[in-house]
Amino acid sequence: MSDHFSGPRALADPAADLVDLFAFPAPNNPQRLVVVMDVFGKAGPGAVFSDAVIYRFRFRRARIAVTGPGAAFGVDPDEVGFDITFDVPSGGDTALQRGHCRIPGGETVSFSTNDERGGTGRGVRVFAGQRSEPFFLDVHTILESTETRKLAFKKVGSDTLYGTNVLSIVLELEWAELLGSGPIFAIVCETLRAGPRPVRIERLGRPEIKNVSMSFKTFDQVNRDLEVRDLYNSEDAFALMPDYVGAYRARLNANLSFWDSLDGKVDWPLDERGNHPLTRLLLADFLVIDLSKPFQDTSYFEIERAMLAGRPHASPGGRWLNEDVMDSIFTLYINGGNGPRINDGIDAPIAWSSKVFPYLAPPNPPKGQAS
Amino acid sequence: MTATLHRKRATNRSGTNAAVVTHGTVALRNLEAQIEGLEPNSTPGFPRVAERARLVDLLALRGSILGSIADYERALELAHLLVRYATTEAAAFLARARTRAVFHRFGDALDDLDVAERLAADTESVDRERAAVFQGLGRYEEASAIREEEARRRPSFESFGALTTLCAERGDTERAEWLHAESVRRYRGISPLPLATLDFQLGVMWMRQGDFDRARDQLTAARRYVAAYVPAQGHLAEVEAELGDAESAVALLYPLATTSDDPDYAGQLARILADAGRTEESRYWRQHAAERYDELIALHPEAFADHAADFWLGAGAEPEKALRLARMNFAIRKTPRARALLSRAVAACAAASASGSRKEPA
Repeated sequence: MSDHFSGPRALADPAADLVDLFAFPAPNNPQRLVVVMDVFGKAGPGAVFSDAVIYRFRFRRARIAVTGPGAAFGVDPDEVGFDITFDVPSGGDTALQRGHCRIPGGETVSFSTNDERGGTGRGVRVFAGQRSEPFFLDVHTILESTETRKLAFKKVGSDTLYGTNVLSIVLELEWAELLGSGPIFAIVCETLRAGPRPVRIERLGRPEIKNVSMSFKTFDQVNRDLEVRDLYNSEDAFALMPDYVGAYRARLNANLSFWDSLDGKVDWPLDERGNHPLTRLLLADFLVIDLSKPFQDTSYFEIERAMLAGRPHASPGGRWLNEDVMDSIFTLYINGGNGPRINDGIDAPIAWSSKVFPYLAPPNPPKGQAS
Repeated sequence: MTATLHRKRATNRSGTNAAVVTHGTVALRNLEAQIEGLEPNSTPGFPRVAERARLVDLLALRGSILGSIADYERALELAHLLVRYATTEAAAFLARARTRAVFHRFGDALDDLDVAERLAADTESVDRERAAVFQGLGRYEEASAIREEEARRRPSFESFGALTTLCAERGDTERAEWLHAESVRRYRGISPLPLATLDFQLGVMWMRQGDFDRARDQLTAARRYVAAYVPAQGHLAEVEAELGDAESAVALLYPLATTSDDPDYAGQLARILADAGRTEESRYWRQHAAERYDELIALHPEAFADHAADFWLGAGAEPEKALRLARMNFAIRKTPRARALLSRAVAACAAASASGSRKEPA
């Protein structure tokens, strides 16, 4: 739920509120790519997908364009998209819905929600339904850290999301057949209001950009009162509007510097224009995955770190469901990997995801029913 | 001109002008699922004030759509707990102010807003809530000043919608219609609930103006967004009765009177059945409503004084009781409708005295 409540507009309809994006090579079949989009954080048992929303995955071929301090990706202008839509539940109290995934070439794969076998089509398998929240973090100690300007993580934290559920869409695909030659791809997911001219509601690439990295206004001396996230959400991840990119950059520079300061030393010196070395890479707000590399348990941002260091990357990058990504992010932001791994006190979700389709663990029982 | 424009939009949901919104049943399921997902975290000690305040608002929203007094009561209870837990959080006081206003505890709501302002809530948020309270109190000029300014500075669905409800309340039908159309035009969300609510407000406005055809159109539009919109269904029943279709009215009211914890539906059903000469059935529903009104007046006198007075003037047939409640209501809020209710109660009591006996219940 790294993107939950990522701006005022996201609060209005939970079924369109993106909470996480994952991308990883299928653990048992490197010819297949798995992407997961989660919406509706803290979903109660009756939660369903909206019939007025297009749930979209977008893929573009990417390459490493620049390494070293100005590290950057190059991204192709052409893209492949998968749109998933849902019908109104057929009636009664059932949470079952028919879903439809439109794949490149026009074929549509239909499926029933919560059916773990999923729907299958040409090179595609798709699941959608309620699952256990795979993400874990202690929001309270993060907020305390920003308020006190001291790292407030405890040895044993309290998982804010323990026992909660999300609505997940899992898409497993033969990437070479459907996406073309890669092997590096940039991936985002989006929710859009359906209709003749779909309107983007939210978009999501990297975890905790809009919340941990962007939401706090206190440190930003340029736009201290600006809630930038609705604007940021409405942007095309592959083509930010030049008019507003300065506001996003200022916010990231300020907040990343704050996180860097928490261990009492500067691991990320700003450049002569005041830019944090990670800002450019993070504003390229998409997951980057190299499908020539086999699955790894811990790989988020490894490609980018290798680029910054000017060395070849060793992992597929992307993001695996079970990775303790908050520790990865805090280690990156606070000590740049130049010190011990930062531990936020939460090391596991209530249930681990598995390495077989549909990967995410079944939903947790409502809290009142849990033993 | 504006009326034509609005009707076209409201009835043309598949056209390009119509907003594509989530089906009403899905929206209600997901409202329920949001509440279920947040409710376990609402116990004292849970640290996230924002989510607890959100739960208070979601419960109040469900209360307004499903006509559920239990939801409002739960929202108020949680808001009290939240304020006790988060004594320095403006969001807690704002949430309680909103729920207190729902129960017509306007003075308490204004006190909460003063505290929220001292705790550094942004002035705009506090003023927005103040405008709602001023509107409830009948202090229309003060409400209008805030809402006009907000609509001018930030023209949006929300700001135009708030102004729509104020104009509707004041009976400024032409402006309310225009604002309604402008508000809908600015809607960017996918939830049907705000659109349904706005249609409902306009429907109630037409009903109070005695334009029952337009009221029916607008209430039907609200129910097209959310079929299970209980107050829209209840008011539609009243409109159908006014238009002479008592059977439709009874069919619409019966399921509500049977299941709702709001006695308004049983009271309306009793009145319509009595008018249709179905005395025995009317007596049953009158009794049902009377008992529930007595309960609610004991618990939340400010909130139900107006509806209860209306009931005792009509199917309840106890004008003295109605007069006491109408006076209480007028003491709380000096609105034209409160004044009219009081006048009706005074007249009914005078008539009863003149005839030398209380009117017998139907």
